Amino acid sequence: MFSGVSFGMFRQMFKSLFPFLIVSAVQAEPISFSRDVLPLLSDNCLTCHGQDESHRKADLRLDTQESASEVIKSGDLIARIISDDPEEIMPPPKSHKPKLNTEQIDTLKRWIAEGAKWGKHWSFEKPVKVPAEGNPVDFFVKAKLAQKGLKLSKAAPEHTLKRRLSFDLTGLPPSSEQTVDSLLASPHFGERMAMWWLDAARYSDTDGFQSDATRTNWAWRDYVVESFNANKPFDQFTLEQFAGDLLPNATPEQKIATCFHRNHMTNGEGGRDKEESRIDYVIDRVNTMGTVWLGLTLGCTQCHSHKFDPITHSDYYSLNAFFNSIDEDGAAGTAAKPYLSYQSPHAKRAVAEAQQLVDQRKPIEGKARQEAEKPFAKWLSERQSNVKADFKAWHDVRGLLESQEGTELAQDKDAIVSASGPNPKQDDYRLIAPIKLPRITGLKLEVLPQDGVLSRGKTGEFILTDIKVQVRRKGSSQIRDILVSNAVADTKIEGKAREYGDVKGTLDDDPRNGWTTKGFPKDQPHTALYALAKPLVLDSDEELIFELRHRSTNGDANIAKFRLFASDQPGPAVRELAPSTLEQLAKGHIEKDRLMAQFLEDHAPYQTAKASLDLATAQLKEVTTAAGKLNVMVLAERKEPRDTHVLVRGVWDKKGDVVKRDVPAAIAPWPADLTRDRMGLAKWLTSKDNPLTARVFVNNLWQMFFGAGLVRTPDDFGLQGQRPSHPELLDWLAVDFMEHGWDVKHLIKLILSSETYQQASNQTDQADPTNLLLSRGPRFRLPAWMLRDAALQSAGLLNSALGGPPVRPHQPEGVWEEIFMGRFTYEPSQGAAQHRRTLYAFWRRSIAPTFLFDSAQRRVCEVSMTRTNTPLQALTLLNDETMMEAAQALAKQMLASPNDRLQLLYQAVLTRQATPRELSVIQRELDRALTHYRDHPADAAKLKSTPELAAHTLIASLVLNLDQAMTHE
Amino acid sequence: MSEHSLQTTRRYFLGQCTGVSVGAMALHAMGQQESVGLPQLPHFAAKAKRVIFLTQSGGPSQLELFDHKPGLMQWAGKELPESVRNGQRLTTMTSGQKQLILPGITKFSRHGQSGSTISEWLPHLGEVADDLCFIKSMTTDQINHAPAMTQFLTGHQLPGRPSMGAWISYGLGSMNRNLPDYLVLISKMQRPSDQPLYDHYWGSGFLPSRYQGVKLRNSKDPVLYLTDPEGLPRHLRRGMLDGLAEINQMHFEQTQDPEITTRIRQYEMAYRMQASVPELTDLSDEPDHVFDMYGPDSRRAGSYAANCILARRLAERGVRFIQLFHPDWDHHSRLPSWCSARCRDTDQPSAALIKDLKQRGMLDETLVIWGGEFGRGVAGQGKWDSPEAGRDHHPRCFTMWMAGAGVKHGTTYGATDDFSYNVAENPVHVRDLHATVMHQLGIDHERFTFRSQGLDFRLTGVEQSHVVKGLIA
Repeated sequence: MFSGVSFGMFRQMFKSLFPFLIVSAVQAEPISFSRDVLPLLSDNCLTCHGQDESHRKADLRLDTQESASEVIKSGDLIARIISDDPEEIMPPPKSHKPKLNTEQIDTLKRWIAEGAKWGKHWSFEKPVKVPAEGNPVDFFVKAKLAQKGLKLSKAAPEHTLKRRLSFDLTGLPPSSEQTVDSLLASPHFGERMAMWWLDAARYSDTDGFQSDATRTNWAWRDYVVESFNANKPFDQFTLEQFAGDLLPNATPEQKIATCFHRNHMTNGEGGRDKEESRIDYVIDRVNTMGTVWLGLTLGCTQCHSHKFDPITHSDYYSLNAFFNSIDEDGAAGTAAKPYLSYQSPHAKRAVAEAQQLVDQRKPIEGKARQEAEKPFAKWLSERQSNVKADFKAWHDVRGLLESQEGTELAQDKDAIVSASGPNPKQDDYRLIAPIKLPRITGLKLEVLPQDGVLSRGKTGEFILTDIKVQVRRKGSSQIRDILVSNAVADTKIEGKAREYGDVKGTLDDDPRNGWTTKGFPKDQPHTALYALAKPLVLDSDEELIFELRHRSTNGDANIAKFRLFASDQPGPAVRELAPSTLEQLAKGHIEKDRLMAQFLEDHAPYQTAKASLDLATAQLKEVTTAAGKLNVMVLAERKEPRDTHVLVRGVWDKKGDVVKRDVPAAIAPWPADLTRDRMGLAKWLTSKDNPLTARVFVNNLWQMFFGAGLVRTPDDFGLQGQRPSHPELLDWLAVDFMEHGWDVKHLIKLILSSETYQQASNQTDQADPTNLLLSRGPRFRLPAWMLRDAALQSAGLLNSALGGPPVRPHQPEGVWEEIFMGRFTYEPSQGAAQHRRTLYAFWRRSIAPTFLFDSAQRRVCEVSMTRTNTPLQALTLLNDETMMEAAQALAKQMLASPNDRLQLLYQAVLTRQATPRELSVIQRELDRALTHYRDHPADAAKLKSTPELAAHTLIASLVLNLDQAMTHE
Repeated sequence: MSEHSLQTTRRYFLGQCTGVSVGAMALHAMGQQESVGLPQLPHFAAKAKRVIFLTQSGGPSQLELFDHKPGLMQWAGKELPESVRNGQRLTTMTSGQKQLILPGITKFSRHGQSGSTISEWLPHLGEVADDLCFIKSMTTDQINHAPAMTQFLTGHQLPGRPSMGAWISYGLGSMNRNLPDYLVLISKMQRPSDQPLYDHYWGSGFLPSRYQGVKLRNSKDPVLYLTDPEGLPRHLRRGMLDGLAEINQMHFEQTQDPEITTRIRQYEMAYRMQASVPELTDLSDEPDHVFDMYGPDSRRAGSYAANCILARRLAERGVRFIQLFHPDWDHHSRLPSWCSARCRDTDQPSAALIKDLKQRGMLDETLVIWGGEFGRGVAGQGKWDSPEAGRDHHPRCFTMWMAGAGVKHGTTYGATDDFSYNVAENPVHVRDLHATVMHQLGIDHERFTFRSQGLDFRLTGVEQSHVVKGLIA
């Protein structure tokens, strides 16, 4: 029974994957060259017998009628395919391509028997609108289904349809009564479309590559959102992005539009040849145009003529010529001209929002400071009576001594450590000591003269390249590093970062810099203070390890004599060399301001308020800068156009023949009246004679709403791509789109009002496993960005403001720091800015936002969707801070309602009522959680919750993680 | 509850099999995929079950570490003959200056019965010389870091192709159902690195993203989002996931969408990882003598040395491809302090890993690879006769070593010219290395392809590449 079912299924899958084979086997229709024969030739023959001259074998071409006619007529073509002789058989064994099967051979034989009619690949033929009755989508889909004896599924339930429409058109779950028209009119429509366009445009807030510098191109994102919201015709949208700068009386926004072609990565790596980079950028533009407008893998022709599609090596560089005279020089960072200096109207709102947050937090900080006065007075009077005249802020450290390379170290009664014995070129000293202080806030290192000099080296100068502070527990194998946040010394040396001098060089593990007191008296002691990032509390069985590394380039500069102290005093005491406030106090000097500062440093309520204010202030400063004039990368022609050469094998400095601006004739001719510039190129792309652009656009939209395109390789409409499942439908929509002046909303409405779109998505019918025939509605996991937006919206947290500078949603600590070894740090946005839509999330090219999965990487253009299903995604949706915030906000809503709490949760997240079976499961888990948290209120407290809130939060998280909550149904 | 409800769930699904062929078959198929990879692989009997790739990012200097050229002393300070340079491109950091020869600044000695030449900066490596196979004739096409590393790991200079680890985990699948197949460990360094380690270095390119390398971080969350919030005990998470699975399953009955069953499985895998990953990364059960073997740095979590211990633990647990990254080998200046520092980080732990695997009988089935994206040039950068001098990037030749899993040990393959500038015999292109690694895993690199954008891609690309027989025992 099982095998019977599976056989049927395989047959279906086989059919859907290789429709042409089945069709040819049925012998009903005559052979179609483009449908049946060309794919066979392309898959099996054209690698060696295509238009790419450099890889052509036996001087034989099978990609044109003329050149193939001889072997067809002579019978050689079939003879070689069916031969048993390993020397004769085609494709040859060493190509690793399997032999053609009987059906394939039969197809070729029949084609020849029917006269070997030649034709073009389908996508290079102009689309034609064949008559359709009623909604064209339904007309063609039903016709195809009827051929297979199938019908459309019944309509999806109302709540499902409501969600489907809302997600498709705004990327958000439904909030109220919505119609297709109201959704299309929503400002969130533009945001939803923009997310797709930004992926295709490889938009990012940073350059990428090694330096990955920040750029300020977000005004272009706002241009995209506004364009979609204004329903700008796609030909106009194209024209502005290709050539906004060349338009007569161009507005600043039209110039900003050209940033589309500057969104590529820019490489500022040291040692990089700028001209090579510049050529890379030109190539990236052509490849992106190929994918987004033409659906062609033009990148293949960078190095050689296309093996499959009728695009030659020289065609490729003729396209490059349109972009080769931009006034740019390949630089990155802040030198990536041309720029437009632009002040965005969208940043004001962000400034007001940030100001509001500062205004809100300032009085809290003020109040906290005021409230600290009283405990400060108490603390001061206690200190005044307790601090004895012999009070010491610093306590000497005594312990075990070790050296790596053999220096002998010994500590005397004054805790001074002296070096003797062997004197290696480089050495590491370690002092390992238990420290009997309530806590450690900093360490003081005194380097002392021995025989009038500071080191054991010839010059008498020491070089301390690095220090390490670590903690070891007795009996444990593990050592942990303690972070030192600051270093100061009594010798101030201005120097380059890679020189010996400044004591801060001892903190970075880099042996090329470090502390030396060269130039200061050698017969005097010198002092360095190290402040720990956080006070360190040692357990009784823990020891501190202080390591002094002498690993300088020339060596021979090991310290001769030193002493180490530790302090438990906060703030200035471990950051400034001046005597500490309490030492002063002990001597009778009351320095009230410094004392207060020191007190506040340890006063947690004040520190919390201050940290929160500091973050808000930093955010205000950032958005205020963003509200001023910013440089946006745009296109502009240079005065002297550059010559464009064919690049031999695609290598940037191997220049071949000079080429002029032109387009591949195989796609569409160049209209006679157009100027040979980017404006002309944009108009050629959207000309009625161009067979690709409208089809590719329709297909991308289709993919957005159905989870897969009518052509399932949205980035490849060429010979190696898949054929459309419904060619007449694709063509009908493409022609209609052009006839309606490239009206995007019109096209969308046409598709979404079809019965096909509105079908239920249940997969009860096995006849169409991959839904190639569209016998049911689309069911697929929503993109990760929609999941975040939906959770925020359901929980009532979403800040639905439009436009402006990027924000930084929650992300686990340290991810940027790890990649850049600390060069960039990520500070999540504060207040309402935290809950903006994901579209506005800061995009660092080297590390995309961690909470997004299966998203485009934005390094190069991407239009195909990936949808995987992994444990890492499960972990993200369970534990991401935003998801937890949303769950808690939902729990609060539930608790605020007197009854029907679980139904309220279902309604908020899934837009429907829970079934009794679902309710019983949810209730059971809620009860279990309630019992636990009531019995263990401490666990609830860890979640900053009451037992009720904690339990309801867990249940809200459960519902947010349901398959239905994350699925386009 | 533990695994109980999962078992019930599975039985339930399989029980439904007769009526629900699509979902059940999908479930069945996925189960197979997870354990055995592609049905046609391996193409032939494999020597290696797994790979540990010790990636040294930045371009270690072959002249200071392995490629001993005593004859260079007489060329010190003289200009590199044009006949040797022969048009080699330089980076713009040194293209404007005279190419004055800086002989290797380290002392070399011979080690083991094989007598391999190894620098004084790598004293521990000498102890395992007879287990290693040195390749002195490595060569690549790229001269800058990111393109060179991208080619070194994915076969192509531009991002977008799957990394070697992704190919292998896609092809061969997993040997452990509680851990991902491809794990990445990066040394924690204090100094901001000049070369970021992009995640496309372990990316899956056009392969499904489940094959991408999972980075094990040295932090509270070794895998991003792994740890449940404090205050959520394990049994409540279990209950929540049971409830989640039950409702998802109800929905599956209605929709018959096999993705739902996959999702249930993935949430269960997530739950298991929450236990298996911390158990893996907690080294406290390792005895002292292990730390002694790997060196003092191994006691510090996140160090290269600690990562070497982790690599062995991952190997023990059946992880297919384990890749370490140690950054900061880009020594344009101050070789004596800077380059020696990186040697100090890596020498003892790398050698200890070989010894450790051997002691445990695992070296025979584990392929260990050590190397970076390119080498360094013979000309000094900066003032050649000052200790301040360094070396610029050099793609034409560099040294790597391999060990274990059917590799010819105690041997040196290939050679460079008198200047360590050009390969003089038996060149091994990065592509050849890829082909050879695949071969040890039982894969014919020419027959292991994936179709994307209408083309059949393979790790070794379209240009000629060969399994290097001379590297194989």
